[in-house]
Amino acid sequence: MQLDFQARELTVKLVYYGPALSGKTTNLQAIHRLLSPEGKGRLMTLETRDDRTLFFDLLPLTVNLGSGLTVRIKLFTVPGQVIHNSTRRLVLQGADGVAFIADSQLNEVRANQASFKDLRKNLRDNGIDPSTMPIVIQYNKRDLPNIRGEEEIRRMASQGKERIYLATAFHGTGVAETFTGLIDATWENLERSHDLQKRFGLAPGTIGEDFRRRFNPPGEAPRHG
Amino acid sequence: MDENKAENKPADISYGEIAQLEELIDRESLREVCRSFFDLFGLSIRVFSARGALLATVHEERSICRYVNSLNKGRVACSETVAQAQMRLPISPETVVHPCFTGAVYHIVPIIYDDRQLGRIVIGPFLPSEVTNTPPSLLNLDPQLDPERARAALSEMPRVRSQTAIRIAAHLRGILDLILFSGHRARLTSTMHLATVRENYRELSEKNASLQDAFNKLKELDRLKSNFLATVSHELRTPLTSIIGYSEMLEAGIAGEMTPEQTGFVETIRTKGELLLLLITSLLDLNKLERGQLSISTEYIDPRAVLDEVREMCVPEAEKKQVKIEAAWADDVPFIQADPVRLRQILINLVGNAVKFTPASGHVELSIRVTEIRVRTEGDEAEEDDGGFGAALMMAPERAVEFAIKDTGIGIPEAEIAKIFDAFYQVDGSSTREYGGAGLGLSIAKSLVAAHHGTIRVESRPAQGTTFFVVLPEAQPDAG
Repeated sequence: MQLDFQARELTVKLVYYGPALSGKTTNLQAIHRLLSPEGKGRLMTLETRDDRTLFFDLLPLTVNLGSGLTVRIKLFTVPGQVIHNSTRRLVLQGADGVAFIADSQLNEVRANQASFKDLRKNLRDNGIDPSTMPIVIQYNKRDLPNIRGEEEIRRMASQGKERIYLATAFHGTGVAETFTGLIDATWENLERSHDLQKRFGLAPGTIGEDFRRRFNPPGEAPRHG
Repeated sequence: MDENKAENKPADISYGEIAQLEELIDRESLREVCRSFFDLFGLSIRVFSARGALLATVHEERSICRYVNSLNKGRVACSETVAQAQMRLPISPETVVHPCFTGAVYHIVPIIYDDRQLGRIVIGPFLPSEVTNTPPSLLNLDPQLDPERARAALSEMPRVRSQTAIRIAAHLRGILDLILFSGHRARLTSTMHLATVRENYRELSEKNASLQDAFNKLKELDRLKSNFLATVSHELRTPLTSIIGYSEMLEAGIAGEMTPEQTGFVETIRTKGELLLLLITSLLDLNKLERGQLSISTEYIDPRAVLDEVREMCVPEAEKKQVKIEAAWADDVPFIQADPVRLRQILINLVGNAVKFTPASGHVELSIRVTEIRVRTEGDEAEEDDGGFGAALMMAPERAVEFAIKDTGIGIPEAEIAKIFDAFYQVDGSSTREYGGAGLGLSIAKSLVAAHHGTIRVESRPAQGTTFFVVLPEAQPDAG
């Protein structure tokens, strides 16, 4: 988080992490599509080849609060392919919250786990204790066959502390919930460490609520994904 | 987590933000855009950064401005108005209209990118179409002003409807926004490129350091092993010489007559002792070869004589196994320059192996022929990948002699061929294997051949047989 007292501006960095082809960019595209235009920046995609992210995607969002405080949110994705590890570590620097986008397909278990381990390692390499990082997990691609069942996911999730969301980012479902859930989890953490409510009158749920109002319901799937 | 403005490292993408218009804009390109707007709409344009730097300007002095500036009071009033228009900062994202005493206006349009005001565009002066009269502020400006001339000059000022001017500004702003977006993306991309390269370099450096560390440890272990081998071999050889010596004396009856059974036992002790001595000598040889300490004393020798000698030495063992040894060579075989003891050692090893791995009623063929070899001398390895530099000279082969030792034995599986010249390697490495040996012979042979600037290679087909080829260069003229 970055705080500019003079400009009364708060900048927060959120990173979408996960294995290759799990739908990180698709999540950002859906957020961009479904959010109302106000305070929504252009979705910037850096260096792609064959529709695969090489560096990152960046979606800037702004919330102008009545109190004169501006909250700027920078949404990043990381490249999922194994070889881009140093890029992932660089993008992860300074993240305030992470949405881990997992692939629901049964044969992607290992890829999900390897990517999560990679996240843990990169956080540690950046000098961050993974247990202090707000993380939400999205099980994406719920529309495909051969996926892990919801009940089983809930059972597994009950043993951990991360909030779980089910999504079909391609159709836009579950995307807003994941994003606002990540905002909430991040703000709870920022509140603990930075006392934002006392200092700026910014209650933990405010930003999440604001975004919930700004999301349109998922409509038609985009023509190409 | 940083409560102050983040102090970014040079290649840190942090929040992916840009702070200044100057970072993103190519001034020359911006001027071209402004020029095309000027050509299209006839409106003067100036672009300022948030810090007030003039990034691009395209304007034409209007008749009225020229006239006003020719008057004393007019000049003062004009420069005041222009300075105010250029310094005026729009607070809201909307266009600000700044009036001139001539009735003309400036439109000041904020450049907003990523919700931040990075600069402003100043358009004008132009006369809003809605203004029809010459304003008193112009007419009363200077006592020397000629109203008719002022009216005429003012009529040459471009006239634009306010709404049109706003649309023109919006269009220019849209184009600028695209330029900024492309610039922003290019900047992030190059920052990311740099950062990734740096990060990869750091990672590789760390890995290299740990590999170097492991390599140093292994080298030290290897050195210890060599020392250990040298010491042990030497310490083993001394008592072994006594064992063999005393056995020979016993056999010769120096210590008194022995029964035939006792003689047999002593003979076994002696022959096994000799075998052990041979093995220890091999170990010492290998050790010396590895450390580059083995000296080769070359002579001018006839390869046929050496091979024939080796054949004779191996015949008794072959006959025991009912294996036939045949030899054949051409008459015009040149002499070679080699250490006779070491050459014999190489050939005995190869012929001995051929006999060992050939079953009864098989045969071993020894032959010599003339061939060519590209002799590699010191420093050649470093030059191998020089893209054929001086190939017409450097690739020239020399005449050479090729020894071939062909057997009809068990052969070597293809996967094993690459490894048979490694020290201590056995194709059948099990403890219950059929054929004995320490796995040193071929490794020593290879090193010895290399010390003679020669090559050794093998062709083999399982169950059909194996052929070893040793190629040594012809003796050089000055060696004779």
